[in-house]
Amino acid sequence: MAFFLETLFGGLMAGMLYSLVALGFVLIFKASGVFNFAQGAMVLVAALCMARFAEWIPAWTGLESKALANLMAFAVSVVFMFLLAWVIERLVLRHLVNQEGVTLLMATLGITYFIDGFGQTLFGSDIYKIDVGMPKDPVFILDSLFEGGVLISQEDVVAALVAAVLVAALSVFFQKTGTGRALRAVADDHQAAQSIGIPLNRIWVIVWCVAGITALVAGIIWGSKLGVQFSLTTVALRALPVIILGGLTSVPGAIIGGLIIGVGEKLSEVYLGPLVGGGIEIWFAYMLALVFLLFRPQGLFGEKIIDRV
Amino acid sequence: MSKVIGDVILDVQNISLRFGGVKALTDISFNVKEHEIRSIIGPNGAGKSSMLNCINGVYTPSEGSITFRGQTFGHMNSRQVAEMGIARTFQNLALFKGMSVIDNIMSGRNLKIKSNIFMQALRIGPAQREEEEHREKVEHIIDFLEIQAFRKTPVGQLPYGLQKRVDLGRALAMEPQVLLLDEPMAGMNLEEKQDMSRFILDVNDEFGTTIVLIEHDMGVVMDISDRVVVLDYGKKIGDGTPDEVRNNEDVISAYLGTGH
Repeated sequence: MAFFLETLFGGLMAGMLYSLVALGFVLIFKASGVFNFAQGAMVLVAALCMARFAEWIPAWTGLESKALANLMAFAVSVVFMFLLAWVIERLVLRHLVNQEGVTLLMATLGITYFIDGFGQTLFGSDIYKIDVGMPKDPVFILDSLFEGGVLISQEDVVAALVAAVLVAALSVFFQKTGTGRALRAVADDHQAAQSIGIPLNRIWVIVWCVAGITALVAGIIWGSKLGVQFSLTTVALRALPVIILGGLTSVPGAIIGGLIIGVGEKLSEVYLGPLVGGGIEIWFAYMLALVFLLFRPQGLFGEKIIDRV
Repeated sequence: MSKVIGDVILDVQNISLRFGGVKALTDISFNVKEHEIRSIIGPNGAGKSSMLNCINGVYTPSEGSITFRGQTFGHMNSRQVAEMGIARTFQNLALFKGMSVIDNIMSGRNLKIKSNIFMQALRIGPAQREEEEHREKVEHIIDFLEIQAFRKTPVGQLPYGLQKRVDLGRALAMEPQVLLLDEPMAGMNLEEKQDMSRFILDVNDEFGTTIVLIEHDMGVVMDISDRVVVLDYGKKIGDGTPDEVRNNEDVISAYLGTGH
């Protein structure tokens, strides 16, 4: 039982991290109807920026305090992501108003490779460390219930808390504010949104900036677990099944989807893995996504699309 | 019904619009006076929607200018036009399909929202009261259009006639001075057309909104319009009261064809 719980917790924590990345996709899709292929690259470049400035700032200024250096690096990274959002809107999105979804998708594919390359030109392409002082030591909980207790990683718990706060904030933003309503309006119809006076350009900068900050948080957490390296971009691919499961337009869906995928991966690996010779973890999420596409293409929480014929 | 028609509020001067080699509009001039219902009619492809899209800032005219309340503009985008107080509805519905009726109409209040996003999120300061004020205006519009029962329904699930009403409601929420209606009755049955005509007349009457209307149904146009512009092949062939237009030779031949 204790082992099962350990696996379950491990899965939940991993799932929370997938959710964080998935959120970035959902944000941009919700607000502009664009499937943003560049989300993974944004995670990488945000993490790179954070890692490098956390190194550079003490080196340049002789700052002693690590926490302060991290804080400053975080601030610089937020500004960097904002600038990135602004440049993307200026140079790419502005010229693609009212274009087909596919056109915009291809544009984000281009943006992906640009960010990948340019980010590494700016910040270097080695493996870097992010150390934001997350507690690394695993702890045992529930000693009284099970013999030996259940082993969980404190780092994962902190990460999950951060993700939960971020999600709550974003849900309020989308559902309760006029700007959130404007974002949803833009996603549905560019032309109509403009006709009622919604400034398309500003909305896009806002949403890419918010997605950038989400990418930054995801990048910091993943980076401090795995190190900041090119393979971070592939984390984004792990988030794809999450959004298929949760629905492209749902913030809570991204979270629940992430948790299901995380738990499913770990449990299937541990309990089904031995039967088929292991390696389930790698493809389990994609299989699950495929099954969902067959029976519920809009995902768990996505908006059901009814087309009048 | 006695209403006071005011001065010229919208003046369209010598508008031409070309798409490549195609001349969609050629040298069109007309004006719209305050509080009137001004219709633009013409056979299919006459350039009615193009004209409306020029006023709305979707298209930029190749030549000519448009003056709205003394302000002349050539290059404008839809958002700037919206800020000036011109709202529109769409021929092929452009509603926010995933959003509820209330949210659709609330989105029309976007330009009027003053509090910043943090105040809105936290519901502090004037944000709460402001939201309530907007909500009240929106509820008024919903009552007016008789769609109370569908408040929370995603508009994508509503029947066509009701979607048209929501489209009108969203435009009304902007409290525009001029309302551009692009075929508000297309595809409706007689009863729905009568309802929509009544709403248009009431908007004009109660809110004092000036209305520019594109419509195919001649009966409706002749009934509710104060003045009518007739376009054919991108040119203006008639302009005047419904009676004047009805008896205009060019208009008759455009609609009925001429003997050759």
